[in-house]
Amino acid sequence: MARSTLRRFRQDRLPSPLIRVALWGAAAAVALAVAGCGEQSPLKPESDPARDIAKLTWWMFGIAGVVFGGAVVMLLIGWLTRREEGLPFIGKRSNVETGAVVVFGIVIPVVVLIGVFAFANLVVLDDTDAPKASSTELTVEVTGNQWFWEVRYPGTKAVTANEIHIPVRTRVNLVGKTDDVIHSIWIPQLNRKIDTVPGHRNRILLYADKPGRYRGQCAEFCGLQHAHMSMYVFADPPERFRAWLRNMERPEAPPAGPSARGGKRIFMANQCASCHTIRGTAARGDIGPDLTHLRDRTTLAGLTIPNRGDYLLRWIRDPQHFKPGNKMPALGLSDAQIQKLVTYLEGLR
Amino acid sequence: MATMPAPLARQRTERLQRIWEEPKGLVGWLTTVDHKRIGLMFLFTSLAFFAAGGVEALLIRTQLIRPDNGLLSPGAFNEAMTMHGVTMIFLVVVPMSIGAFGNYLLPLMIGARDLAFPRMNALSFWIYVASGLFVYTGLAIGSAPDAGWFDYLPLGSKQYSPGPNVDFYTLGLIFNGISSTATAVNLIVTTFKLRAPGMSLNRMPLFCYAMLATSFALVFALPPLNTALIFLELDRALGFHFFDVTKGGDPLLWQHLFWIFGHPEVYIIILPAFGIATAIIPTFARRKMVAFPLVALAEILVAFIGFGVWAHHMFAVGLDTITTIYFAAASLIIVIPSGIQLFAWITTIVTGRPRFKTPLLWIVGFIVLFLLGGLSGVTFAAIPFDQQLTDTYYVVAHFHYVIFGAAVFPLLGGMFYWFPKVTGRMYHERAGQASFWLSFVGMNLTFFPMHIVGLLGMPRRQYTYPHGLGWDGYNLVETIGSYLLAAGLLMVVTNLAVSLFRGVPAGNDPFGGDTLEWSTTSPPPSYNFAVIPRVTSPYAMWDREDRQADQRDLAGPAERVLDEGHETPASSVLDADWDEILEMPAKSWSPILLAAALAAGFTMLLTRHYVIAAVVALLALVVLGGWHWKEPQEA
Amino acid sequence: MTGGDDLTRRTGRGHGPPTGGATRSTEATSGPAASYAARRRVSLPVGTWGVILLVATEAAFFGTLIASYLYLRLKVSQWPPAGVEPPDLTAPLILTGVLVATTLPILLAVRAARVGRVRPAWLLLLGAMLVQAAYLGVQIHLFGSDLDKFQPTDNAYGSVYFTMLFAHHVHVLVGILMIGWLLARLIGGLTNYRLVAVQVVAIYWYFVNAVAVAITLTQVSPSL
Repeated sequence: MARSTLRRFRQDRLPSPLIRVALWGAAAAVALAVAGCGEQSPLKPESDPARDIAKLTWWMFGIAGVVFGGAVVMLLIGWLTRREEGLPFIGKRSNVETGAVVVFGIVIPVVVLIGVFAFANLVVLDDTDAPKASSTELTVEVTGNQWFWEVRYPGTKAVTANEIHIPVRTRVNLVGKTDDVIHSIWIPQLNRKIDTVPGHRNRILLYADKPGRYRGQCAEFCGLQHAHMSMYVFADPPERFRAWLRNMERPEAPPAGPSARGGKRIFMANQCASCHTIRGTAARGDIGPDLTHLRDRTTLAGLTIPNRGDYLLRWIRDPQHFKPGNKMPALGLSDAQIQKLVTYLEGLR
Repeated sequence: MATMPAPLARQRTERLQRIWEEPKGLVGWLTTVDHKRIGLMFLFTSLAFFAAGGVEALLIRTQLIRPDNGLLSPGAFNEAMTMHGVTMIFLVVVPMSIGAFGNYLLPLMIGARDLAFPRMNALSFWIYVASGLFVYTGLAIGSAPDAGWFDYLPLGSKQYSPGPNVDFYTLGLIFNGISSTATAVNLIVTTFKLRAPGMSLNRMPLFCYAMLATSFALVFALPPLNTALIFLELDRALGFHFFDVTKGGDPLLWQHLFWIFGHPEVYIIILPAFGIATAIIPTFARRKMVAFPLVALAEILVAFIGFGVWAHHMFAVGLDTITTIYFAAASLIIVIPSGIQLFAWITTIVTGRPRFKTPLLWIVGFIVLFLLGGLSGVTFAAIPFDQQLTDTYYVVAHFHYVIFGAAVFPLLGGMFYWFPKVTGRMYHERAGQASFWLSFVGMNLTFFPMHIVGLLGMPRRQYTYPHGLGWDGYNLVETIGSYLLAAGLLMVVTNLAVSLFRGVPAGNDPFGGDTLEWSTTSPPPSYNFAVIPRVTSPYAMWDREDRQADQRDLAGPAERVLDEGHETPASSVLDADWDEILEMPAKSWSPILLAAALAAGFTMLLTRHYVIAAVVALLALVVLGGWHWKEPQEA
Repeated sequence: MTGGDDLTRRTGRGHGPPTGGATRSTEATSGPAASYAARRRVSLPVGTWGVILLVATEAAFFGTLIASYLYLRLKVSQWPPAGVEPPDLTAPLILTGVLVATTLPILLAVRAARVGRVRPAWLLLLGAMLVQAAYLGVQIHLFGSDLDKFQPTDNAYGSVYFTMLFAHHVHVLVGILMIGWLLARLIGGLTNYRLVAVQVVAIYWYFVNAVAVAITLTQVSPSL
């Protein structure tokens, strides 16, 4: 029953024209303010669950606008009739007054709230809950760490960080977990947020209608760099996704050229290897993100800086400048050494 | 009544004054047990903490005025936002509501001469001050609590918060909780037992119902918090594993325990404000409250239902569906008693002949802001919506509308309303109205855009944010709004401070109030009432015959004058039949000494000197024993 | 001040229906006077209300302790965890029975005090306190021997087990100290204040004994 209600809802059966006007009027100001920006906005949905929630939102705002407007009008009447006692036109009638309190304070709220409740929590909730295991085609496992997201594809050897790729229009089972503190995975255009809690495995549906890039962020305060723990979800056409995944499974692309080889030697000889993993090498650290395909990513440090130009060099020279409090120390390397390191890392496609 | 008191009447009032007056000077204040003095001490202390919390807020807003700002480091920001929350909730709003307003006004409104336990009242205050200083010592040494005001685990555990920051939080809040619990118990017993004989429960003012509901909520809400804090401190200090998933614990246990406290806490924050609104509205609307019994019942229901909704703070955590649906349903139910009160207030204003003076303006502002905050709260009962917008600025907007708009606005209105009673002088009306409008505009400018920026995806508790997500303009407006709000609040304080010295003398009852405090002089005498008042309705001050009968009693039969000692009547709980005459304690050093001992004990716990802490605890028990040694009749 | 007659002479006339005169109870400084004042009261005295509310907060506290125990228990399949023996049944249950039995002498002490008979009340309270002190001594010994077998720092079971028991024992200790204080004061005779104090301490003890049952049942629940 819930499913068919949902389907009807999605077919946009709106009520009578008068109510339509009122709802749009009430929500117009907010809509104007909100429209036109926000790649991290729940009000710009790009999937069914997010779309259902957005519609629910507008309906609730419409009702809230009517209630609020009504109360303000009543207060205005109170001011305009401040020299007379009693209600306008009706005069002093205490049972009407009590009746008004009962109707506006009990009866109408009960009716409206039952409606909102039934719709939100019995209908829409059905679609935003964790997907049934059998209903999804792919599983992505995201582990929250202070302060980056580790992304794995169970059943494959693929590991990356902060940038999740999924095939477009495919139901993906997103598993959220963590081994340190509570974080929260939130990609507003695609679905609600889900906390990652130590000792628990939480799941939501990840689904995108259209190819594109969707921005998300950690949504549970997790310490010093909570503000810089963002992520991207890339929805790719299936062929491109499969190619990407195959690439992610491969180990390190061996360094080409003396500078890159020198950079790899510096990487292994210094602290880098004790915190980072580069599959296919001796570097097996698990404190920082997996760097095997670093070049593939569009950003560094959880979307803090772009992965182009001299950002990587400046990051390695002074990680604390961009993300103070993060766990990567300044390594005390010379500029020449860092340049070699960068050459090596930029070859990790 | 401007008639000259007869000689017998004057004799009696002078005798009462001699019996009840307390020493002037510092010693008088340190040993006071007078609820009015204690109420004022609570007020000034909470205003000082309000300023501190306000500075923390301005720091936050200034840091967020533009993207990638560098005013505060992430660590400093985390301390500022945590301290802002802890200060405002535990050190400002609750103490101001129950410790200042409840303390000062409850005995006056019920016709009593003090609270039921005057020395415990003083203890509440000294513990409050000590606990506030305890937490702020953390700030002073650069280790303020920094894991958020609800300090989720494992972030707040020793492993991820190794410094003493979170220990200041846990021990400081346990310490502070003793104060609130003691005040709550005091207010309940006073309301039950010390009402003027004849003031049966249905003749009690609505303000007293609100304080009663608040106090019951505190009695049952603080213990879960204490359990959580004790567990946390044991984990941190002694290596226990309540919240440690690798050893059979669960971080969600903290969340459940915290929110079982935390949700009733927000009703504790707002109920006294409802009480203030129900005191101001009849006076300025010049009519009795519409649907009085419904409003009284609604106030109690809010406190009661508030205990059943806690997990609506945990909708994104991964609880099972049935559980989340139950909590959403319960959260919707609580809308009903709030709605009843809202429409009763509005209807009373509409059907009365309202005078929109400063106190009523703050209450009208409160109604508008409470409605907005309540509506955004209701949207959270739609679980999928909550799961999108929780932990964003939309939630920050919601709770500031209900805390600032619905709890602080009435407190400010109440400060104006009772200013003449407490000081004997009138505040400046035009400046008062201007300060309201400035604060109202500033408040909305600060917090309304937060709804929008949350809907644009901005999470909360970030020390900075990137350019390009559409958040910049709104944050700028919010910061400007916060400065306007600060200016409005400064205007309030300046008005009251200047009026304290230069205000026009106010007289006993400048507004035509409906409750008994307006029958005393301004300020009230140390003994509150020369004659324990006769009461036949909840609007005692509007019952002229009863007030005239009191005047005749003062010059005539002595039974309700009670001037043979430090006396006040005790009556039965429901019908207020006169039961006995109580001899009340007078000034005492025990409360401040006990508070000092407890402060030393908590400090020893903080520094892990457990043996010394145990010794101090024994010392505290000795002080407690000494406190009870001298009996009332030996005074 | 020797008897009820003196007390009534100094009452104020009451206001409001049936009760008539209201007593200045605080002036009752002898056994018979205190007893008279207690009989005249129609409503619980303020001290009693105070302890009822204190008991309410402590009940909520123990309630959350027990709820936390159950919450942690329901999260795992093995409880106690591997390596910890299930708790002994006999000693805790017998000890709790002994503690609960002290309710009787305390009840009788209150009854005696209410009719002004200080000496029997004093002896009953002393008897109760001695039994309670013995109980606490044995419990502390058992606590120590439990600590030899497993620690609160081992796992969540240990943490909640020992915290729960410690909280209960602290309440027992405070109760014993309160009776000690009463015994010291009652040597000087009975007054209204001390009579209310007896009632207050009694209510506190009824509560502690009830909590003892709840805590013990929780403590031994894995073995039931």
